[in-house]
Amino acid sequence: MEISGSLNAIGYGLSAIGGAIGVGLVFYAYITGVARQPEAQRVLQPIAFLGLAFTEALAILGLVLAFILG
Amino acid sequence: MIALALPAATTGEGFVPPTTDELHLPDVLPWAADYGTGVGKQMILVLLSVVIIAWFFSKAAKKQALVPSKLQLVGEMGYGLVRDSIGKDIIGQRDFLKFVPLLFTVFFFVLVNNIYGAIPLIQLPSFSHPGSAYVLAGIIYVLWITIGIRKHGIGYFKMVVVPSGVPWPLLIILIPIEIISNFLVRPITHSLRLFATMMAGHLIVLLAGSGIEYLLVLQDNIFLQATSVLVLVGGVAMYMLEALIMVIQAYVFTLLTAIYIQGALADEH
Amino acid sequence: MDQIVILAAEGNPLLPNPWEILVTGAGFAVLLYIVIKYVAPAFEKIYTQRVEAIEGGLAKAETAQAEANAALEEYKQQLVDSRAEANRIREEARAEGAQILADLKEQAAAESARITAQAHVQIEAERQAATVALRAEVGTLAADLASRIVGESLADNALSSRVVDRFLADLEASDSAGATT
Repeated sequence: MEISGSLNAIGYGLSAIGGAIGVGLVFYAYITGVARQPEAQRVLQPIAFLGLAFTEALAILGLVLAFILG
Repeated sequence: MIALALPAATTGEGFVPPTTDELHLPDVLPWAADYGTGVGKQMILVLLSVVIIAWFFSKAAKKQALVPSKLQLVGEMGYGLVRDSIGKDIIGQRDFLKFVPLLFTVFFFVLVNNIYGAIPLIQLPSFSHPGSAYVLAGIIYVLWITIGIRKHGIGYFKMVVVPSGVPWPLLIILIPIEIISNFLVRPITHSLRLFATMMAGHLIVLLAGSGIEYLLVLQDNIFLQATSVLVLVGGVAMYMLEALIMVIQAYVFTLLTAIYIQGALADEH
Repeated sequence: MDQIVILAAEGNPLLPNPWEILVTGAGFAVLLYIVIKYVAPAFEKIYTQRVEAIEGGLAKAETAQAEANAALEEYKQQLVDSRAEANRIREEARAEGAQILADLKEQAAAESARITAQAHVQIEAERQAATVALRAEVGTLAADLASRIVGESLADNALSSRVVDRFLADLEASDSAGATT
C-alpha cells in the first residue's frame, strides 16, 4: 500500500507532544497550588498563563514551520 | 480501518478532505477581485462584529439604572468580568482602569468573531484568517512596548532583556533567549495561537461535514452509510468542544494582553 | 524565499491578505474608539454609582447605629441619673422621717413634761388648798381639843400643859413645813 501526504503533518504532530506535556505540567502545578492554597489563585493565575504562553510557543512554532517548509 | 477500506469499496474517487482553501470563500464583490482585495465573508463579519458589539453595549449601558434590567445585567457582567477578573487581578489595583477599555474591546472583539464559528450558516470564525489575528496581536505588541518605553524610558529594553542577579557568563546565553522569547515569540504565538485554534476548529467541523456527506450520499453500501452516524456524533462533540475553545481562546488572548501590559508596567523584570 | 512566494501562490494559510489586515485593524480601532468614548465611561459610571449607593447605605447604617448607640447611652445615663435621684429622694425621705420622728418624740417628751408639770402644779395647788382648808379647820379642831382636854383632865395640870405644848409645837412644825413646800 502506498502512503502519501506531507511529512510536515507528522513533524507538527511530534512538536505538539512536547507542548502538550508542558501545558499539562503547567496546569497540573497551577491546580495543585490553588487546591492547597485557594487564596493564592490571583497570584498564580497570571504566572500559569504566562507559562502556558511560553510552553505553547514551541508547538505553535512547529505549526508555522509545518506550513512554511514545503 | 474504514478509511483504508473506502477506496476499495467505491468505484469513483476516494475521500478528499477539505483544504484550508475552503476557508476563503469567493469574493463578495467580484469586480474588486481584479485588484486583489479579496473582500469576502470574513471581512463583512469583522465589520458586523464591530456593529454588534457597539450596538449591544451602547444599549446595555444606556439606561444606567441602579437596579439593572436583564440586558444591562448581561452587559455589566461582561464588563465586570473583563474589568475585575482580567484587568484588576492582573494589571493591579493601581493603574488597571486606564486599560479596561482596551481589554474590554479585545475580549469582546475576539469573542464575537470566534463565536461566529459556532453559529449555523455563518460558521466562519473571523480569526481563522491569519491577517486578522496578526493585526490584533501586532497592535497589542506595539502597545505594550510603547507602554514600557513610556514608563521606563529607553532602559526598558535593557530591563526586559537582561535578567538581574545572574552571573555574566550566563548572560551570553540568556540575553538572546530573552530577546527571542520576549520580542519575537510573544507576538507570533499570541497571534498564531488564536489563528491556529480557530482554523483547526473550523476545519474539523468542516471535515466532519464532508465526511458525513461522503459516507451518506456517495456510498452505495448501506452499512457504510450507517457509519455516518458515528461521524455525526463525533462531529457534534467536536463542535461543542470548539464552542468551548472559542470562548477560552478569547479569554486567553485577553489575559495574555493584560499580562504583557502588566509586564511592561512592572517595576522589575 | 522563492519557495515561500510559491507557497503563497498556492494559498499558504499563514500568509495574510493585506486587505484583511486593513479591515480588521480599522474595525478594531473604530470599536476601541467607541468603547473608550461611550461604553466604558457609561459602565464605569454605573459602577461608581453602585459603589456609592452601597457605601452610602453603609454610611447611613453606620450613622443610624451611632445614633442608636448614643440614644442607648443617653437612656442608660438617664437611668443611672434617675436611680441616683431616687436614692437621693429615699435618703431624704428617710432623713426627713427620722427628723419627724425625732421632732415628734421631742414634742411628746415636752408634752409629757408639760403634763407632768401641770399635774405637779395641780397637786401642789390641791395640797395648798388642802393645807389652807386644814389650817382653817385647825383652829376649831384645836379649840375643840383644847376645850376637851381642858374640860376632862384639869386634874393633872402639869400633864395637860405638856400635851398642849407638844401639840402646839407639832402644829408649828407642820405649819412651817407646809409653808416651805
